[in-house]
Amino acid sequence: MDILKTSETQTVNARSALMEDILTRLKSNFQTYAILFALGALWILFTILTNGAYMGPQNISNLFRQMTVTSFLAIGMVFVIVTGNIDLSVGRLAGFVSVVVAYFQANVWFRQIPDQPLLSAVLSVLIGLGVGLLWGVLQGYIIAFLGVPSFIVTLGSMFILSGAILLVTQGKTIPANQPIFSDIAQGYLPQTLGWAIGFIVLVALLLRSLNKIRRKRKYGLQPPNIGVELAGVIITSALVFGYIYWVNEYRGIQTPVFLLALTALVMSHLANNTRFGRYAYAIGGNREAARLSGVNIQRSIFLVFALMGLLCGIAGVVLASYVGYGTIAAGQGYELDAIASAILGGTSTLGGVGTISGALIGALIMSSLTTGLQMLNVAPAWQYVVKGAVLVLAVYADVYFKRSRQ
Amino acid sequence: MSQGDVILDIRNVTKRFPGVTALDNVSFQVRRGEVHGLCGENGAGKSTLMKILSGVYPYGSYEGTIIYDGSELKLVERPIQRARELGIAIVYQELMLVPNMTVGENIFLGKEPVERGAIQWDRLYSEAGELLAKYGLNVSPRAPVRTLGVGKMQMVEIAKALSENAKVLILDEPTSALTEAEVDRLMEIIANLKRHNVTCIYITHKLEEFFRIADTITVLRDGKVVASQPVGHYTLEKLVGYMVGREMKERFPKRHRHIGDVVLSVEGLEALDPNNPTRRVLRGVSFDVRRGEILGIAGLMGSGRSELVNTLFGEFGRITRGTIRIEGQEVCIRSARDAMRYGLSLVPEDRKLQGLVLIQSILKNISLPNLDQFAGFMRIDEDAEVVAASKQAKSLAIKTPSLQARADSLSGGNQQKVVIAKWLLSNPKVLIMDDPTRGIDVGAKYEIYKLMDELASRGVAIILISSELEEVLGMSDRVMVMHQGRSMGTLDISEATQERVMAMATGLDEIKIV
Ligand SMILES: Nc1ncnc2c1ncn2[C@@H]1O[C@H](COP(=O)(O)OP(=O)(O)OP(=O)(O)O)[C@@H](O)[C@H]1O
Ligand SMILES: [Mg+2]
Repeated sequence: MDILKTSETQTVNARSALMEDILTRLKSNFQTYAILFALGALWILFTILTNGAYMGPQNISNLFRQMTVTSFLAIGMVFVIVTGNIDLSVGRLAGFVSVVVAYFQANVWFRQIPDQPLLSAVLSVLIGLGVGLLWGVLQGYIIAFLGVPSFIVTLGSMFILSGAILLVTQGKTIPANQPIFSDIAQGYLPQTLGWAIGFIVLVALLLRSLNKIRRKRKYGLQPPNIGVELAGVIITSALVFGYIYWVNEYRGIQTPVFLLALTALVMSHLANNTRFGRYAYAIGGNREAARLSGVNIQRSIFLVFALMGLLCGIAGVVLASYVGYGTIAAGQGYELDAIASAILGGTSTLGGVGTISGALIGALIMSSLTTGLQMLNVAPAWQYVVKGAVLVLAVYADVYFKRSRQ
Repeated sequence: MSQGDVILDIRNVTKRFPGVTALDNVSFQVRRGEVHGLCGENGAGKSTLMKILSGVYPYGSYEGTIIYDGSELKLVERPIQRARELGIAIVYQELMLVPNMTVGENIFLGKEPVERGAIQWDRLYSEAGELLAKYGLNVSPRAPVRTLGVGKMQMVEIAKALSENAKVLILDEPTSALTEAEVDRLMEIIANLKRHNVTCIYITHKLEEFFRIADTITVLRDGKVVASQPVGHYTLEKLVGYMVGREMKERFPKRHRHIGDVVLSVEGLEALDPNNPTRRVLRGVSFDVRRGEILGIAGLMGSGRSELVNTLFGEFGRITRGTIRIEGQEVCIRSARDAMRYGLSLVPEDRKLQGLVLIQSILKNISLPNLDQFAGFMRIDEDAEVVAASKQAKSLAIKTPSLQARADSLSGGNQQKVVIAKWLLSNPKVLIMDDPTRGIDVGAKYEIYKLMDELASRGVAIILISSELEEVLGMSDRVMVMHQGRSMGTLDISEATQERVMAMATGLDEIKIV
């Protein structure tokens, strides 16, 4: 398979092959590393400014929990933007889901199925996901099959949902704080379970690497360098264990963060390893070429919006559980955070480019900024200004580095 | 300013990309007022050298020196504009016009005549008109570019390039999309430029053209200059020899075909333009193609060849009448996906717009239409994908350091090979190829011809459209000729002469179906 290899001679010494392997990995994920670096710098800065309080277990625990709602939205937004679309309705849809769920909690379960917290929690979740998915299906249908631009459809939908939220809440705040339901966003996993999850991750990573090597062998492809592969596993699991250790110092892995991690894994798999994902990227890269390659564009875009709706459903349920009530302001402006996170994470507004992991780091940066600025008692007005400036600066830095690398 | 002095002296220029040395110590000279032909295989480095001259790759991103018009060429700040100001103009391999603007607007894009902040439209159009007239370009400055054919667009590109008193005009494969008549027109224009003492660097894969207009030919192979001589030094065979580094005896491979049953048959097909339903693009087309056969479709530009194959592929015309049968069964094809299910594949005409996702890797491009082959339960078998794609890449000799390289890092010809590779992988029953060798060098052309022959010998039916009549005649078993959206009849290759085909293509001759 000489076409797969850059090196002219087979006798390159092991060290330079290793370096090359690492370099290509670094290069292909350049943007992810750059943004991770930015995140690290931010954390160090805030830690110094707050005399270490910033990195305390409780603060870190809260910081990660805070990012979950927008993260669910940002993950879906990656698919939407990658296909060359936009969804302005996600914030209000999540908000709508949260007030509907709160409504059922406050007015229905309590009468129909009193004293059954588990059942009512399960039903709340199902209703929340169902409402989100349905709305996504509807939007997807109008965008993909009726051909109305997504910007328009979701802008309109944002207005409609704002109205719907008012109708459901009647302008009042609805409590949503039944015991088990509240745990969805406010609960913690027991510490031992936390460690167990760490070990599961480690084993899964190892198995995945072994599997990768075995399969490459099977097809006679150049297997990845074992050292690099192992280093990847070690670094990843060190991060995971470090995180678990730190949040266990407080009260354990936060349930919503765990849910987010699971969702992100599934979505990453969808993006990279399924036809659905490949088609989404191809459509964003060149719609015409994708169409002529037999990609069913309408179906793909419909599915992307349906999926976005489902993720809004999840976000809405977590939101209701997190704040403990549904209000008229629920989810307002979240779409902007979601879009900003995706873009900070390297999603291209031109379509065709973007990763789930990038969007997560983007969301983490946004949430780190919020927390840090709050701790420093920066006025909310200036918090907005700083976030906006960071977004523009980050994209400029990316443009700049791309240009100078050429 | 005497004719014949050296205007461009390229000395030891080397340009590297990650994994490839595109230009390797290139030196040659271009004389003022000459037409300097530049030829070489796909990926030899022609376009790269031209991009250095025009400032796309600025001074410092390559090694070596370039002396232009007596002083060293150092394009550093705003290099592209600087090159234009110095009189180096380029018409790129791919057309770069804004379709929704008029000819005049395109020519003056970025340098509109302004007075107190307002564009002087009258001045713009009259100057555009003068410019077009000066070089004998027959286009109206007020026509929207989207209404022009490719040939005229090419002329607009040239006018745009010349609008700043160019001393050197670079034409990178200007004729790859032109019809014969348009090529003739372009040759006249170049001769006219020569009279105005404009130096022309001319790149093409249609080697005959060099012998019509070039004064000097420089041959690149693998980034190195292998010859730079006056045109009289070469013969066609010699030129090909320099290019590919070995002798090539024939242009078309021997045929090894066994023609079988009819796979695809089309009867009385009529269709409308979906974007403009009053325009009839197909007005009665009938033909059939058999297993193991290559059917050529000849016709002038605008005769409906591409419209026909796109309609067959379910992606263009609204069919109003006629039937399409595949293996005897009448089918209704509404999308590319349907077409692929029936075993049709289409190598489209325009690789950048229709063939490739330029920002994605070669690998992903090749596998895009074929993901069903690698998809297991909920996941794609990426290793199987790599194996299959690299097999195709290898058999087509795609020149790249890695399948992970982005499609837009390839030279034009190699991009075309990727498009062909992706469709070969889909194992079609009927392979439709719309101008498959556009922009491909002689050596690679021969490889593609061999591949077509091999596919046909394995029972694939091939429909070939080409802007080069010779190619159609050289490769086909039968030739169907189209004229104004109608099939004028099908000739067996033994009776298809250039004259006969041209007569039918211009509507002077028709075979009545009895
Ligand atoms: N931006 C780039 N990044 C990496 N490699 C590149 C880039 N541009 C060109 N190359 C490589 O440089 C080599 C020369 O390419 P170039 O486009 O100059 O070829 P060419 O002679 O014009 O070919 P063609 O006849 O196919 O147009 C090729 O191997 C190509 O893959
Ligand atoms: Mg080229």
